[in-house]
Amino acid sequence: MKSDDQLVRIRQLEKENDQLQRSVKELSILNEIATAIGSTTTLDRIIDLIIEKCVKHCNVEQAAVMLLDDEEEERPFKTMVRKADRSVNMLPFRLDEQLTGWTLKHKKPLLVNNFETDERFKYLSGRELPVASLLSIPLMLKGRLIGLITVFNKKHGQHFDSNDQRLLSIISAQSAQVIENARLHDQEQTLLKMEHEYRLASEIQNKLLPKSSPDCPGYEVAGISHPAQVVGGDYFDFIPMDANTMAVCLGDISGKGLPAAMLMSNLQAAIRAQTSLNPSPDACLEKSNRLLYQNTDHSKFATLFYGILDIKNHQMCFSNAGHNRPLFFHQAQEPVCLETAGIALSLIEETSYKQDQIRFEPGDLLLIYSDGITEAINTEYEEFGEERLTALIGANRSDPADELMKKIILAVESHAGSQPQADDMTIVVIRRKPS
Amino acid sequence: MSVILTYYNDVVIVSARGNLMGGKETSDYHQTVKDLISGGSVKIVADLSKVKWMNSKGLGMLMACYTSCTNAGGSLKIAGATEKAKSLLMMTKLLTIFEAYDTTEQAVASFKQNPVQSPSCTDHDR
Repeated sequence: MKSDDQLVRIRQLEKENDQLQRSVKELSILNEIATAIGSTTTLDRIIDLIIEKCVKHCNVEQAAVMLLDDEEEERPFKTMVRKADRSVNMLPFRLDEQLTGWTLKHKKPLLVNNFETDERFKYLSGRELPVASLLSIPLMLKGRLIGLITVFNKKHGQHFDSNDQRLLSIISAQSAQVIENARLHDQEQTLLKMEHEYRLASEIQNKLLPKSSPDCPGYEVAGISHPAQVVGGDYFDFIPMDANTMAVCLGDISGKGLPAAMLMSNLQAAIRAQTSLNPSPDACLEKSNRLLYQNTDHSKFATLFYGILDIKNHQMCFSNAGHNRPLFFHQAQEPVCLETAGIALSLIEETSYKQDQIRFEPGDLLLIYSDGITEAINTEYEEFGEERLTALIGANRSDPADELMKKIILAVESHAGSQPQADDMTIVVIRRKPS
Repeated sequence: MSVILTYYNDVVIVSARGNLMGGKETSDYHQTVKDLISGGSVKIVADLSKVKWMNSKGLGMLMACYTSCTNAGGSLKIAGATEKAKSLLMMTKLLTIFEAYDTTEQAVASFKQNPVQSPSCTDHDR
């Protein structure tokens, strides 16, 4: 016969043994989960694995992981994204909403073994539910709720108890960081893909711009474009027409980034096509405008200076669709702005453009530029402006075109100082060589 | 920036403050106008009298607002443009598209509406 003391001792040992076995089991489960999810980095696969382990070790029929969508934090009830598992279809809509709402509010475990008697789900009383019991544990990361793990219907009609809650809490704690890492990894992959596509777009765009200065006997013609982002909305082009004439244009699409770049390539195609069909600037702009208007949604527009340089007669006939007025340095006179202008492209379907003409004497210089040059601001919101630009060219007028363009860009950057480049900067210089 | 909305019957004056230079203030203004249009307010006066700086991006945004408004069967008119804004509008020849008025009162009157005695004002913070 065992004494009472011995019986108490045996019970204590059995209890300690149970606890030890449970701890060993928990550690073994955690190890299994860690090993499984360590072998993958994709969010979907990790969530599948967590669900699989929950179903196995919590001895339940179904499990689900729901994640809070960061971008929709203001509307939490619409933000729970169910992942995997057939339990997606198990919950009636209102129970789903109640469950997510309750967890968002209380941020603590929810254990329901009987929906009929549970005060929180009283409104469901009398309905036939596919769920007999559930246990839901919030996924917390640094005090922030990132989602929840829920297991449904303990097998063999059993009830969830504190041991289940403890085990699922441990799995949840283990999973939160891993899920977050996987989510960040997914975001990183998306960003890398976007970056790659941006680089490709930039390469395509660079190929659309002239690679070198055109060969114009007696003239120096050069252009440069500095986009503010990887891809830009500015554009310039030199389009040879015949032995003595060449179309020169510089355009600026409203906005920036990819949408502007896409419209830019559309504009370039339209101008190139119309240049071959129309010998005069006004007709070229009128038809290009119509084409752009018909092919765009009018939420964007383009300004464009377009001129045809005749190197035999030393004349340039030009039209301007709402673009910055180019600066013409003619002989020893004060520089003039070429005022002739019409409306920007793609705003209204039918419009006509005026055209005008300038004559290049030896040493004359025409500077065509985009507003990224004159509108570059410093920390005091002071623009670089037309005056500074005019003075800079006046002082460096005899520099080679490439040098002059570099000086302008440097001066603008120096003016802007710590202000980041807000807009694309594009310049075209045309100079008749001194005789 | 705070975009101020002032209602005169079915005309809404959308007053911008600060800079319309393509940053957050510009997108806030654009969003406010888009919200108004989707809510059925399509008679809009863009009040630019408190705009300190504006560039082509601000102008592009106004043009987009104008297009949305026109497409919705309404109209967007400009009031109180500063010298800088006026010169931009002239250079791009957009004054041939926009109706521009010196004051918001003139712009509202141009919609041929009877001004309400005491207009309601809303601070539309974004």
